[in-house]
Amino acid sequence: MSDKYGIIASFPDTPSLFHAAEKVRDAGYKKWDTYSSFPVHGMPEAQGQPRSKVPIFTFIGGITGFSFGLVMVWYMNAFDYPLIVRGQPFFSPVFPFPIMYEMTILLSAFGTLGGMFITNFLPQHYSPLFNSETFLEVSGDRLVIAIESIDGQYDPVATRQFLEEIGGKDIEEVSA
Amino acid sequence: MNANISNSKSTKVGTIALVIGVIGTAISLFGFKQGWNVSEVRPILSWLIAIGFWLSILVGMLFLIQIWWVFHARWPTIIRRQCEHCIAAFPYLLILFLPLLAIPLFHDNPGLLWKWMDGYNELPGHGTVAEDPLYVWKSPFLNIPFFIARAVAIFAVFIGISTILRKWSFDTDVSGNANNTHWSRRLSSLGIFLCAIGATFASIDWFKSLEYHWFSTMYGVWFFAACIRAALASIIILCVILATKGYLKGILKQSHRYDISCMMLAFTVFWAYISFSQYFLIYSANIPEETFWYNMREKNFDGELNSWWWVSMGLIFGHFLIPFLLLLWYKTKVVIWRTVGVSIWILLFHILDLYWNILPGKLIVPDHGEGYLVRQFTITPYDFTAFIGIGGFCIFAMCRSMKKTEPIPIRDPNILESLNYSE
Repeated sequence: MSDKYGIIASFPDTPSLFHAAEKVRDAGYKKWDTYSSFPVHGMPEAQGQPRSKVPIFTFIGGITGFSFGLVMVWYMNAFDYPLIVRGQPFFSPVFPFPIMYEMTILLSAFGTLGGMFITNFLPQHYSPLFNSETFLEVSGDRLVIAIESIDGQYDPVATRQFLEEIGGKDIEEVSA
Repeated sequence: MNANISNSKSTKVGTIALVIGVIGTAISLFGFKQGWNVSEVRPILSWLIAIGFWLSILVGMLFLIQIWWVFHARWPTIIRRQCEHCIAAFPYLLILFLPLLAIPLFHDNPGLLWKWMDGYNELPGHGTVAEDPLYVWKSPFLNIPFFIARAVAIFAVFIGISTILRKWSFDTDVSGNANNTHWSRRLSSLGIFLCAIGATFASIDWFKSLEYHWFSTMYGVWFFAACIRAALASIIILCVILATKGYLKGILKQSHRYDISCMMLAFTVFWAYISFSQYFLIYSANIPEETFWYNMREKNFDGELNSWWWVSMGLIFGHFLIPFLLLLWYKTKVVIWRTVGVSIWILLFHILDLYWNILPGKLIVPDHGEGYLVRQFTITPYDFTAFIGIGGFCIFAMCRSMKKTEPIPIRDPNILESLNYSE
């Protein structure tokens, strides 16, 4: 099966794509995805996807930024080169707060962006799906479900039959 | 049929709330009168704090309604109606506010609560109010006739805008007239400015002028942030109650609660941002006319930490850090009991925030030169009766309004989108 990437099926409209996705999910497939040129509300739930992991990256970025700002100001103003400014203490959590706060925002933004790239496997310049002329129409008005051959339940005959049963049209195998 | 059950429930809850309101305010007004007789300001301050608490919720809701109109927000249409019921309580608050206005008019010492109102009031180390250059300079603004005129204007704005918005929104249920929506949007785009000015002057006049020496350009924004937070927390509690026991069953969805909680997270950060900015600017400028306000809330004249220091720490951690961290979690925003728990937490700390802003004051000590005592953090029985009593009237007004119209704006142009809203 290694020469085939997977099997794709097209669906005529968004509701049928949505309900087909629910059936694929309930059939127990894991390595599959839906493709459309616009976002479909509720599709993550219909595909049975867990919640995004990006917030964890954001949070870690924020904590890192906050600590980095804190340590940086302490190191510069209180340790490396103590400087008297306006009679204030060398270090206090009050006056460097804008620094800590800005570093928190900056690194949580970086964390979010990086986390989004990591969890989406980006950058990804090539996918074997591009071998299919049919699939390229997804950037127009085609709605596609693709089940990959690395899925444990994948079987060239049974999966094709299953996709036909749930209303798939223009079913074709895509070479790797 | 459903409306009838809701109506009888509203009547029942409203009657109970009215009874509790009457009893609570009666006890508090008794305390108010005792304080009036012996020139003791603490029971009067409880009344002011309780008015401030319920006013902040209503003002926040009025802001939110107008913000939703102006941005043509479609998802909160069903929630907007519940807020419209709540803001029916503004006229009751005006009546409950009148005892405070009676002090400058009828008390022997007009400056019993707001001490600048009596020129003979003594200040620690400064002589009297009338001799105080800062008061003389501020007197074109801080004088009794103008103060009363402002109070009237502030309530006129709140009552006027809330009445008109309610009228138009309720009329849409009957007539289906789309012009009501257009006019509400137009009124709101002006009303946001009027309410912003009203809320700013309300906080300056009623809370900030308790220490009239102090300057802060952040104060009005602080009150705005506090209002919206309190309003969002109350909206969640109210809507969850209505969705479990009342007419919002099956209508209020997870996505509505999630979005209100997201706004609650945003305004938690905004409140902290504003409160910290106020502190930060005064800390950096480090001039005595401003720093004394924070000094009072940290230590006594002799340098000993006082009770307000603990309250301040409680606000930093309890009113910002803990709700902030909790609200970051998705689960907190969708699991009902967690959302309600955080909302109650925020409301309790909002009360503490009002205590912290209103209660501390310089108490004069005879023969102590420039020294002064700080009125410490205390909770008195009159605080409870005032909160519950005034709250009773607000809930009565809400229940009374609920009987007048449909539970949700059934003919609003955006109602379907609100009913089918998903994250």
